[in-house]
Amino acid sequence: MKTYTYPQSQTLFKRAAAVIPCGIPGHMSPAANVPVSDYPFFAAHADGAKFWDVDGNEFIDYMCAYGPMILGYNNPVVNKAALNQLEQSDCVMGASPRMVELAEFLVDLVPAADWAFFAKNGGDVTNYSVMIARAATGRKKITMIAGGYHGVAPWMQAPGHAGLIEEDYRNIIRLKWNDFAGFERAVAEHPGQIAGFIATPYHVPAFYDSELPEKGYWQKVEALCRKEGIVLIIDDIRHGFRLDMGGSNEYFGFKPDLICFCKALANGFTISALVGSDALKNDAARVFYTGSYWYQAMPMAAALACLSELKRIDGPKLMLDAGERLLNGLTESARSHGYDLKVSGLPSLPYLRITNDESLMLHQDWCGECTKRGAFFTSHHNWFLSTAHTDDDIAKTIEIADDAFAAIKAKYGDRYSTR
Amino acid sequence: MTHQLIKAHLNLHAVLQNLEDLVEHDPQTAALAEDWRISVQFTVKKGPRAFISFADGACQVGPGKCRRPSVILYFKSPEHLNRMMDGTANPIPLKGMTRLPFLAKEFPRATDRLEHFLKPTDELLADPDYLALNTRFSLSTAVFAVRELCLLDEVGQLNAAHIPKGTVLFKVLPDGPAMHLVFQRGDIEVVKGEAKQPSAVMLFKNQQVANDLLNGKGDAFTAIAAEDVMIRGRIPMIEAINPILDRIPLYLS
Repeated sequence: MKTYTYPQSQTLFKRAAAVIPCGIPGHMSPAANVPVSDYPFFAAHADGAKFWDVDGNEFIDYMCAYGPMILGYNNPVVNKAALNQLEQSDCVMGASPRMVELAEFLVDLVPAADWAFFAKNGGDVTNYSVMIARAATGRKKITMIAGGYHGVAPWMQAPGHAGLIEEDYRNIIRLKWNDFAGFERAVAEHPGQIAGFIATPYHVPAFYDSELPEKGYWQKVEALCRKEGIVLIIDDIRHGFRLDMGGSNEYFGFKPDLICFCKALANGFTISALVGSDALKNDAARVFYTGSYWYQAMPMAAALACLSELKRIDGPKLMLDAGERLLNGLTESARSHGYDLKVSGLPSLPYLRITNDESLMLHQDWCGECTKRGAFFTSHHNWFLSTAHTDDDIAKTIEIADDAFAAIKAKYGDRYSTR
Repeated sequence: MTHQLIKAHLNLHAVLQNLEDLVEHDPQTAALAEDWRISVQFTVKKGPRAFISFADGACQVGPGKCRRPSVILYFKSPEHLNRMMDGTANPIPLKGMTRLPFLAKEFPRATDRLEHFLKPTDELLADPDYLALNTRFSLSTAVFAVRELCLLDEVGQLNAAHIPKGTVLFKVLPDGPAMHLVFQRGDIEVVKGEAKQPSAVMLFKNQQVANDLLNGKGDAFTAIAAEDVMIRGRIPMIEAINPILDRIPLYLS
């Protein structure tokens, strides 16, 4: 099978590095993809479940722009709604009626929502949720899960990272995922001091297997939060609308006080949302929080179209089913080559890992070999399915994966044997 | 743990450690130390201990006590040791008065040589031999310092708590130097040379790339994307070490 090269990406990166810190900073940094030489850096155009890089290479995309793409790139329904709105108004003096319509839509769609608030990025609303929790409780401390990711505000980052000061993380208590006893201990050790508990619906740490909640975990967390007056915040930015249209908490059967949405909300148009319970509406109102572009109407129109379409086609079920077909094919292919490909998380946003090599180096090589054959896989992060991934895409992906398994087998021989 | 105490640990266990490599890799120091047979114990009140031992043309630097040292140097406090390292104070000799001439005249020739290699200028770095030694010492200082900071520095401890068991290899391609850190429950070991089965690797394309990064002249993300630096394996181990590396200049500027 032909493999790709990326001369244009690499040339463009040199220009980028001259004028932009890191060249491509943040989560799109090529540094996360190992080996770097197997990956494209710059995308030229995209359609459906595919994108094409600046070298003209075609990829079936299993990262979906790290989650925002959910109905397929260039989705005609969403794009039409967005462009129609752009012709009318976008960033103008005054809020758009689309904002009200979108808030009403979310309140109707999400059982835990009595109100909605809009911003741009996921970090905007996770930060807002924590401010609301503090405003509502008059407390300082926030509990979060070690290895969890909620954005890049100083309190969200690990201690020691550049630009942080000690005070940024003094009031953050990091707990182990699924460790309810640990949460109980934290509450006992900090009586009346914990404002909020923030976590993703299930744990999706980079470089490690995803972990689903143990039976009863969320229900116990919810009960303790209620008892102690702690605001329960779900960061549904990554999982949102890929498990359940009513919010991922519905999938796991519990009710948070605040839910943060972003990524899949508008199929790539720039918007995030915080929804919450009526009990916190006044506290949300008391927190002053805004941004220059938070009233843009075009992303709101896109979100309305995206959510309506996802609801109409039962998007979460389509993605869970497509993910199941993909994962069955990949794990079977792995087995036929003598590898154990472990799947964790749920099929619409799975994390995969070849277990034959604990260091991940073999897995990194396989993901790189797949990518340079046209199936864009990362080795460090959960993947994302979309409703645009067709059976043909999945069949081609399995064919690519099979060739990539053969390539790593040829490279390593029996060094990594089947367990 | 005070700033001065952590700095004293770094001075003894990361900076002076370079004497081993200096004697091995710098011909001038090797010739100087060829016939030295002496061991020096450094004892700091309420602080770390370390020893330097010269014998058979080699140097050994280690933590803790030396068996039957020729000389014992005492420091009243960690700050006293740090001032000595900065050249503004003298140690208090407790044993080995007859060897004081060695300490006053011979030994400083080696430490001056080390200082020369630890304080690069652009002009000095233009010499490939100097570049190679400065790179070796910078890498060694950094890796030994990571161990100390993981154990002693508050931010280092917080980051180290998330580093799983395993080995992280740092290597300058193609032929080294290489060093690795072995993380075990509650302990961290620094080993010079290659690792057999590292959990994570950070490979520098060549001496120049390694030198630039170790001397803070470039950013790692750009270097990785440009394939000047290659990382593989359990990358969170490297990610957790990076903020610890950033702490070194707070103590050793």
